[in-house]
Amino acid sequence: MKRRLTMGVAAAAVGTLLAACGAGGPGSGGGKISGGKLTLGVLTDLSGVYADLAGNGAVAAVQMAADDYRKKYGDKAVTQKIDVIKADHQNKPEVANTQAREMYERKGADAIFDVPTSSAALAVETVAAQQKKLYFNTGAATTELAGKSCNAYTYEWAYDSYMLAHGTGTQVTQQGGKNWYLIYPDYAFGQDMQAKFTPAIEGAGGRVVAKDPTPFPSDNYSTFLLKAPTLNPKPDVLGALQAGGDLANVVKQYDQFKVKDKGVKLAIGLLFDSDIKAIGADKLAGTMFTTAWFWNLDDRSRAWAQRFQKITGKLPTFDQAADYSAATAYLEAVQKAGTDKAASVSKVLDGMPLDDFFARNATVRAADHRVVHDAYLAKVKAPSEATQDGDYTELVRTIPAAQAFDKPSPDCHLG
Amino acid sequence: MTSFLQQLFNGLVSGSFYALLALGLAVIFGMLRVVNFAHGALYMLGAFGAVVLGDDAGLGFWWALLLVPAALAVAGMAMERLLVQRLTALDPLYNFLLTFGIALVCQDLLRMKYGSHSRPYDRAPFGGTVDLGLFDYPRYQVFVLAVSVVVCVAVWLLLTRTRIGTVVRASTERPELTRAFGIDTRRWVTPVFGFGVALAGLAGVLAAPMRAVNSDMGADLIITVFAVVVIGGLGSVFGSVVAGFAIGMIQALGNLYVPVLSQTSVYLLMAVVLLVRPAGLFGKEEHA
Amino acid sequence: MILALVHRLAGRPAWIRWGLLAAGLFLAAVLPWVLYPPVATDILCWGLFAVAFDLLLGHAGLLSFGHAAFWGGSAYVTGLIALHSGLPFYAAVLGGAVAAALLALPIGYLAVRRSGIYFAMITLAFAQMVYFVANQWSAVTGGENGLQGIPRTLPGADLSDAFTFYYAALPVVLLGLAAAHRIVRSPFGRVTAAIRDNPDRVRALGYSADRYKLTVFTASAFLSGLAGGLFAVNHGFASLQEVDWTTSGKVVVMTVLGGIGTLWGSLVGAAAIVRLEDWLSTAGFEQTDLVTGGVFIVVVLLFRQGLWGTATHLLRLRAPSAPPEEPEADAESPAHAGGGGGRGFTARAK
Repeated sequence: MKRRLTMGVAAAAVGTLLAACGAGGPGSGGGKISGGKLTLGVLTDLSGVYADLAGNGAVAAVQMAADDYRKKYGDKAVTQKIDVIKADHQNKPEVANTQAREMYERKGADAIFDVPTSSAALAVETVAAQQKKLYFNTGAATTELAGKSCNAYTYEWAYDSYMLAHGTGTQVTQQGGKNWYLIYPDYAFGQDMQAKFTPAIEGAGGRVVAKDPTPFPSDNYSTFLLKAPTLNPKPDVLGALQAGGDLANVVKQYDQFKVKDKGVKLAIGLLFDSDIKAIGADKLAGTMFTTAWFWNLDDRSRAWAQRFQKITGKLPTFDQAADYSAATAYLEAVQKAGTDKAASVSKVLDGMPLDDFFARNATVRAADHRVVHDAYLAKVKAPSEATQDGDYTELVRTIPAAQAFDKPSPDCHLG
Repeated sequence: MTSFLQQLFNGLVSGSFYALLALGLAVIFGMLRVVNFAHGALYMLGAFGAVVLGDDAGLGFWWALLLVPAALAVAGMAMERLLVQRLTALDPLYNFLLTFGIALVCQDLLRMKYGSHSRPYDRAPFGGTVDLGLFDYPRYQVFVLAVSVVVCVAVWLLLTRTRIGTVVRASTERPELTRAFGIDTRRWVTPVFGFGVALAGLAGVLAAPMRAVNSDMGADLIITVFAVVVIGGLGSVFGSVVAGFAIGMIQALGNLYVPVLSQTSVYLLMAVVLLVRPAGLFGKEEHA
Repeated sequence: MILALVHRLAGRPAWIRWGLLAAGLFLAAVLPWVLYPPVATDILCWGLFAVAFDLLLGHAGLLSFGHAAFWGGSAYVTGLIALHSGLPFYAAVLGGAVAAALLALPIGYLAVRRSGIYFAMITLAFAQMVYFVANQWSAVTGGENGLQGIPRTLPGADLSDAFTFYYAALPVVLLGLAAAHRIVRSPFGRVTAAIRDNPDRVRALGYSADRYKLTVFTASAFLSGLAGGLFAVNHGFASLQEVDWTTSGKVVVMTVLGGIGTLWGSLVGAAAIVRLEDWLSTAGFEQTDLVTGGVFIVVVLLFRQGLWGTATHLLRLRAPSAPPEEPEADAESPAHAGGGGGRGFTARAK
């Protein structure tokens, strides 16, 4: 406070006034819960490409976790007052950075959830460490979060590019797709996916016949689709590592060029339910991909999905399910620690085994704060097989937690 | 050799879209000296128009090909009358900014209504592929190329062989002279603007069966098209079309032979053209 | 410096000049008390960026739609210097700004060959090229993950607090603003304004119009680079958003909203847009582009003098006794900015 007073009388007057208004932050509340209440911040994309994957559904999922916790513990809960607040980061890292800071500093958030988009997620990770508050990422795929950039305050809950690439690469190769042609968008995500697909395919006894970077973004993939069947040896699988609108372009044109009829099957690196809806399940039927969860997995999942649907009117995505799982685990840890102090909560979380409808056979890995859990190799159902609207996915094989994720990165020092 | 020819053909198909969009921009620019930043958004609206007609009205591709450009032409004329015209007396940059604002609004309204995700389009005509001698090619994409060429040639004939065309072309290429001859170019402004917009809409409808239809599809494209018209010469209708097809082919070759440059090649080419012929390959020098 | 600045606010009664300057400095001094400090620093950065942009648009009549290349290019270079050299952040920001100016030389050299709408399209296209390079070259830039962990190094000071950092950044911004002001009021600035208004006449007088345009373009890029570098240090990272074409569009809307050619109006426009975006993030209305686009349409159609221009206009109506201004020195009035031939980007009808 002292240095602020050097700024001149008038300025100081305004400052004191405002400081007085802003007083009463952390530490002034009752008990061991700061302010007597918990605040869960959901920082997400409410308007852009990830609004369906995360968005208001993510907020609803965290709210559900808070309500369930209150109901479960009743009077024994460390606090009955749990606020869920939200902000839109518009997929812009600078907005994410400022909003996260504001949530922690001014709005009293004890933990932040969700945060899709890698650049935004990494920006929030830094803020969490500076503010010494917890952050549970479910929306971003970069392995840097629990790798080079990891820190003691950040948990990676849902998925990453290793899980996507390794799952699909290994499993599809083992099922007979020996020869691969990889096309990847030439930017960080695509380059990263390609680097992880190749060893997975080779490790499973397959071979990458060729791999080509594609312009990003692009609306014409004819070059690569014409090339695919002419390669020698002819690839069994075309591995398309594009995302979003680019992926829709690839699949539409894959269909028009009749590449499937020429004996080259399609495997996809990253496929969300929203992509299936965007492209059309008929065009994707039979396509294999890896996912962290899907709502129609089994009874436990369906039961939660129905509750979610009742509240939001939509079926949940894996990201939203992961938000619920993370928020529940966080609240349980607070309950157990008896405080919302990040370090104490983190101590309870580290090494904690989990088994909820989302995180199966799961552990919160203490070394890098990655949650390792079962992942699923799935394929897209033909529209005729779907039991209801939004039923897109069929389980092919469960990938056990131990194989689904990479070993802790040597670059990660939680510090 | 086959793969080289394949790439050229791929490039012609991408070029079809560049050419149609550049043509629309050139026609509008010629008449009004306005660069329509909303051209990409109107292309996007064209594609959405096809999807919505299919989903909500059950109308197929051919109806969309007819109705959507017509509807956008009307919308374009309204836009010219209500908004663009109010600024034509001012520096043309004001209209550039106005249409930029219109583009943002269009995109965000679509996003509000339909979300950011692509929309499926399942009313594509022509299923299979066609044997082009050296390779098989999707029949639909050959059709797109044919339509684009026919439209570009038809517009060219319209501009060179008809009286309307002569007036429009004269005011496009020699605006001062035309006015000096006492020809009233004003009455053609609104229909020409509508026509240019219709071309963007046509390109959009053609894109729906083969490209991802989402609110951002025009935003990325329009910047490349700007480079195309700078290369071709903004005032030149012929140059815009030729540059459109040429850029398509250069990008396709880049995809295969120099992937690092496939995205940037168009801008490098633009730099070279600006060095050698600042007015563009087919543009006329003007005082600036 | 400040005294000189005051001197240069010519053509207004002394009390208005002093009053405006004092009010501006007071506001700058108390801003982080009134606003959330990181947002206040954002306003500084965007404000300098918008002023640098107006230097080009309002005073040289050149509409660049690719200024993100300089803001973002500098953000990356600043970040790389700060990450790898351990130099004080001032040096990193300066390095970034120099890099932006160097980048502006080839782009400007090609772009100034055309004016008006061509200039806008060419700068937009080149900026897009910078974007693609940044995106593909992820080994250096971090690609879509961004260049993370940029430190705020300053020996002998702890800048980790956003509040302190605001005051560390403020001098850089004030220097940048003073430089912009100095350029506009210099003989050099008068020649560029004359080129804007009547290029043929200036050429006839023996000036090389292109060289003047290129110089002001580079100066604008340098100041944009200062702003972009500070922004990167403020946020601790540089991302693709900084070189995205929407960033170029954002600075245009700030200047247009503030009032083209008013220089200080850009600060007001920047503050308004930053506050608006910050507010929209939590307001429950997520359509930011709709708002930005709407602002564009409304301002361009109905409100071409912008906030500052309208305010000064109203002020002048209220005080008819104010002495008539020397047109030459009056770069702050958009009504005068079009001066000669009407080719410039002004609110005046042809």
